[in-house]
Order: sequence, then structure tokens, then C-alpha cells
Amino acid sequence: MEFYYYVNIFETKGLEYVLLICFLVLFILLVRYLSTPEKKE
Amino acid sequence: MNNTTAITSDFKRFIRFFLQELKPKGKWLTPFNIISIPVILLGTIILFIRFTQGLGSVTNLSQEFPWGFWIGFDVVIGVAFAGGAYIITFVVYVMKVEKYHSIVRVTVLNGLLAYIFYAGALVLDLGRPWHIINPIIGNSFGYNSVLFLVAWHFLLYMLAEFVEFSPVIAQWAQLEKVRKFVSALTLGAVIFGITLSMLHQSGLGALFLMAKPKIHPLWYSEFIPILFFVSSIFAGLSMIIFEGTISHKVFRNLIGEKSQHSFEEIILGMAKGAAISMFVYYFFKALIFIHEQQWELINDFWGYWYLVEVIGFVLIPCFMFAYAVKTRNTTIIRLAAIITLIGIILNRLNISVIAFKWDAVNKYYPSWEEIIVTLMVVFTEIWVFRWIVTRMPVFSKQH
Repeated sequence: MEFYYYVNIFETKGLEYVLLICFLVLFILLVRYLSTPEKKE
Repeated sequence: MNNTTAITSDFKRFIRFFLQELKPKGKWLTPFNIISIPVILLGTIILFIRFTQGLGSVTNLSQEFPWGFWIGFDVVIGVAFAGGAYIITFVVYVMKVEKYHSIVRVTVLNGLLAYIFYAGALVLDLGRPWHIINPIIGNSFGYNSVLFLVAWHFLLYMLAEFVEFSPVIAQWAQLEKVRKFVSALTLGAVIFGITLSMLHQSGLGALFLMAKPKIHPLWYSEFIPILFFVSSIFAGLSMIIFEGTISHKVFRNLIGEKSQHSFEEIILGMAKGAAISMFVYYFFKALIFIHEQQWELINDFWGYWYLVEVIGFVLIPCFMFAYAVKTRNTTIIRLAAIITLIGIILNRLNISVIAFKWDAVNKYYPSWEEIIVTLMVVFTEIWVFRWIVTRMPVFSKQH
């Protein structure tokens, strides 16, 4: 019988979920960054 | 009888006009001509030897390495660079963004020529080139083969692009009725072309799915088709920026003042698209890397080489594009486009040549003849492109 450690971020694919969440957040930030024109002083 | 006479006289008039247009225009002694003419002549001799004495006489291809520089550079890279045509036609004809209308004709022409020359270069690489017709005429169709899909898509996409470009040819030949007829077909051809393009850009990647044991694990993934498709978006956009910048310098007299200014805005828009698609591509690569748990592969030569490609030629130009859009700096955009194009060349060559059979004792290196023929293909395409744009109403001024 194989043991499964729920605390192992590799086995639970937790790292992939973390990366995806980071991607979604950063993607929104990138689009916002590209869409707003630079403020002129 | 009168109709026949009219058609005959029209045909004679067109032949006279065409022969007149064949005559060279402009200066002969230009740096490009001085470099390209000897290369094209040498390439023609090499091709004569290739077709009379076989592939082995001029290439380093073998049973162990049946695909080399011609497939890797001409087909796999050339088709990615031609991706700009389906993106711009989608943006202009489907999304109705008029800002990019002035570059539609030149982009479609580039795409059409890229497919004719680069996909056409497939013929050079076939041991029995006369078999190229087999997937089309049904001699051993091979429905299960990805090459079957790619062959049909190349053919149909070339036809679709020709239809998209044909109003320009009709306008040049002063055939008003024909121009109206083919113009009416444009939207259908565009939609058909976009569908085909999306499928065969990824189909080219799918060709490598069967080579799992031969490709280094850092480059092999079951998601290669998706990576090929996404990378074709920013490859195409970068190619338009690069090619457009050169065209606006070389063919300055053919392009209107208004178009010169609007090109700056067009570059900014395309840089934004490139930044977003590169960002998505980078995270795809990161996700595949983590999913495959390839940590132990990163600490050797191939690992460092992989990082150079992914960070140096994807992430860094992505940031450069984003920063340049924000600060409206077109110089940085042009620089980022060149880095991106080098990155695409590196990525596609890694998959098809460099990291292909990376552990083999006998390595494949392209022969000088393979490199000369590749240069010949590129130079010939530029010659044809120049011939067309100096005669037909390709740039906006003549619309």
C-alpha cells in the first residue's frame, strides 16, 4: 500500500496550484499595467 | 465571336503589361544584391546536385538523423514567423480593429511567401520528392499521420492566403470585376485561414510527439502542440515589427506619411499582444516543468541551456515589451522583437535539431551546403517580396 503525505507539496500537486494562482494574479496585474497610460508629470 | 476577340485582346494586353513589369526597377548595385546573388547562384548549383545525386551528396542527413536544418529552420521556424498573417487578419476582419488595416496586405503577402518558400522547402528534404503529392491525391492517405494533416493544411492555407491577397493582384492587373469578386471572398478566406492556421501551427508541434525518446525531457512535453501555437502568436507579432521596421526604411517612398506615423501606434499595439502571449507561454513552460518534476535535470549543461532559452529569450523580452509599451519606447520594442525572434529560432532548433538525440554518440551538424540553401530560400523570398511591393499596391498609400 502506498502512503500519501498530504503535507508534501509535490505529491499533492500543491505547487502547480500555487503557480496557477500566481499566474492568474500576475496576469491581471500585467494587463492592468499595459492598459493604463503612464502618468505625465 | 466578339467575346472571344475581346478576351484574346485583353489577354494580349495583360501579357504585354506583365512583360513590362518583369523589367527590373531601381538600382542593381545594392549591398543586398551583391550578397544575395552569389548565394542564390551557389544554392541553385547545390540544389541541382541534390536532385541529381540525392540528399546524401550535399547534406549531413542520415538514417539516424533524417530531419535536419532544412526541416528545423525552413519549415518549423519559417511557419512560426508566418503566424503574423492569421493574427492580423483576425484582428482586422473579425474583431474589426481598423488601426491595423494598413498592414494587412503586406502581412498577408509575407505569410503567403513564407508558406510558399519555407513550407515549399519540404520538397528539398524528401528523399523521393515526387511523393509529396501522395497525401493530396490519395495514394496511401495515412489518415492517422500528423504529416497528413500538416500537408493538407499547408496546401489549403496557401490557397486561403492567395485568395486574401488576390484583390491586390487584380487591382495591379486593372481587372476591376475580378477584384470585386475576389474581395467578396476575403472574409470567408480569412475565417478559413485562421482555423487552418491555429490547427497546423499546433500540428507542427504534434509532429514531435512521436519522438518522445529522442527529444531531451526538458523540451519534450505532451503539450508541445499548445506551446507551438502560443509561441507562433508572439513569433508572428515580432516578425511583423521587425519586417515592418525594415520595410518602412527601405520602401519609404512607397509608404504614405500618415502610415509612417500610424506605424508607431501599430507597433505599440503589437508589443502589447506579444507581452501578454509571452507571459502566458512562460507560465505554460513553468507549469510543465513543475508538473513533470524535472528539478534534477536543471543542474547540467542542458538545464542551463534550457534556462537561457526560457528566461533570456522569453521572460526578459516579455518584460522589455511591457516596459516599452508603458513608456511608449519603440526602440526597446524593436530590440525585444529581435530577441524574441532569436528565441523562437533557438526553441525550434532545440526541439528539432540541438536537443534532438542529445545523447547520441554521433551528432548531427548541418553541412555548409544546407546553410547556403537555407540562405538561398530566404534571399529568394526577399527578392520576390521586393518585386511584388514595388509593383503592386501593397502599402497603404496606393490603396
